Amino acid sequence: MTEGPEDLRRWRLPRGRHGLPRELVERSQRERLHAAVVRVTVENGYEATTVADILGEAGVGRESFYELFDDKLDCMLAAQKILVDDLEGRVRDAYLDEGPWPERMRKALGVTLDWFAADPEAARFTLIELSAVGPAFRSVFKDQFARFIELLEEGLDDDTPYPELAAATSLAVGATMARLYEEVMLDRTTELPRLLPDLTYDLLVPFVGEEAARAEQRRASASS
Amino acid sequence: MQKHPSSETAGSILRPTTPPDIGQRTQRQRIIDAIVDSCAEKTYAATTITDIVARAHISRTTFYKQFDDKRACFDAAVGHCIDQLQEVAAAAHSDSDPPGDAVRKATEAVIEALAARPGVAQLLTGDAIAVDPMVVERYRRATIPALEAIWSREPGSAEGHTDPRLAFGQAQVLIFNQIATGKPERLPELLPEIVYLAVSPFGGHEEAIRQSRLARKAAPDGPGSA
Repeated sequence: MTEGPEDLRRWRLPRGRHGLPRELVERSQRERLHAAVVRVTVENGYEATTVADILGEAGVGRESFYELFDDKLDCMLAAQKILVDDLEGRVRDAYLDEGPWPERMRKALGVTLDWFAADPEAARFTLIELSAVGPAFRSVFKDQFARFIELLEEGLDDDTPYPELAAATSLAVGATMARLYEEVMLDRTTELPRLLPDLTYDLLVPFVGEEAARAEQRRASASS
Repeated sequence: MQKHPSSETAGSILRPTTPPDIGQRTQRQRIIDAIVDSCAEKTYAATTITDIVARAHISRTTFYKQFDDKRACFDAAVGHCIDQLQEVAAAAHSDSDPPGDAVRKATEAVIEALAARPGVAQLLTGDAIAVDPMVVERYRRATIPALEAIWSREPGSAEGHTDPRLAFGQAQVLIFNQIATGKPERLPELLPEIVYLAVSPFGGHEEAIRQSRLARKAAPDGPGSA
């Protein structure tokens, strides 16, 4: 994201008649509400969060909120989509770059860990608070999972070691999610980048075996 | 998909008795079955005490005699499901099996049991995470030492392989993803991957691949079919 939730929170439109085009006002309100819903649900938990809390945090009126979103969940899901789009874009740039596949995997993983570490609030929101929203979480989860599998497969090339396991890519996405979830849960989000060498190893083993994965793990240690 | 007969030791949570027996089951058991089914349908977050008592055909008073609140009921259900799965896993292999085979057999039995009762899978992989990470920690602590014990018969294992804690989390994510796609009956298609995850931390990559091949043979409608 070009502007993190922090910047968005500080962004207030001048009061009264400001003569800004309606489109821009709405965009600003939308972004402030996205930032607010992340912050407020992380602080209060999904259950306890009310639309009023979000409005207070965003400095946006109730009417404007309901013009943009159906309800609290709709607002959360919109914020989630923006966060995941941003993450996917960054991972894509790193992963679909030049270089041997294991190295591109390591770089994509590095970008992922850095992204979460840079904004522990967004990390908590996207990994933990969202899982409490009820059945809607299932479709968000499966769509995101599928999206990252697709990206991973897009970057496989002729040099990629052919994994014997049909769903080796889902093991890789699963490993990343499981590790992120655990570290964020334990409030170790800012230290995520330190896990790059070990996680690189665990991700690569199903594709290349232990010895080759160990070599990439050493490169990850050396580069961090 | 053909349903594999699950182990005879699987109790009521995995093979719920049908309505005619309902009066014979204990109230507590009925309540636990009810919360499992309700979570499967609408998740823990959306489940109310009203849902639970309606499904269990009991009164609110009866519910509160057994449990303080929804969370206490959930914890009891999780504990019960874990116990049942451990029994299923233990019954699926014997001491004479080589470790890799033993782990594969146990994993196959657990996945079959989860496919037969997807509510349990939802409870343990989806709701447990949403409700409280300590719940997950509890059954991770029950599972990893059980695997270690199997491999302890073979000295020198568990050196320099993948991380067992991570493998456990991975299996959870994969199972939940299958639940989230709305096709829990296809859980057995994940067997090669789950067996790989269960074997790899202690038996190493090569053995894990070997066992996952055997698992694939055992699951005729494996990945790619359907």
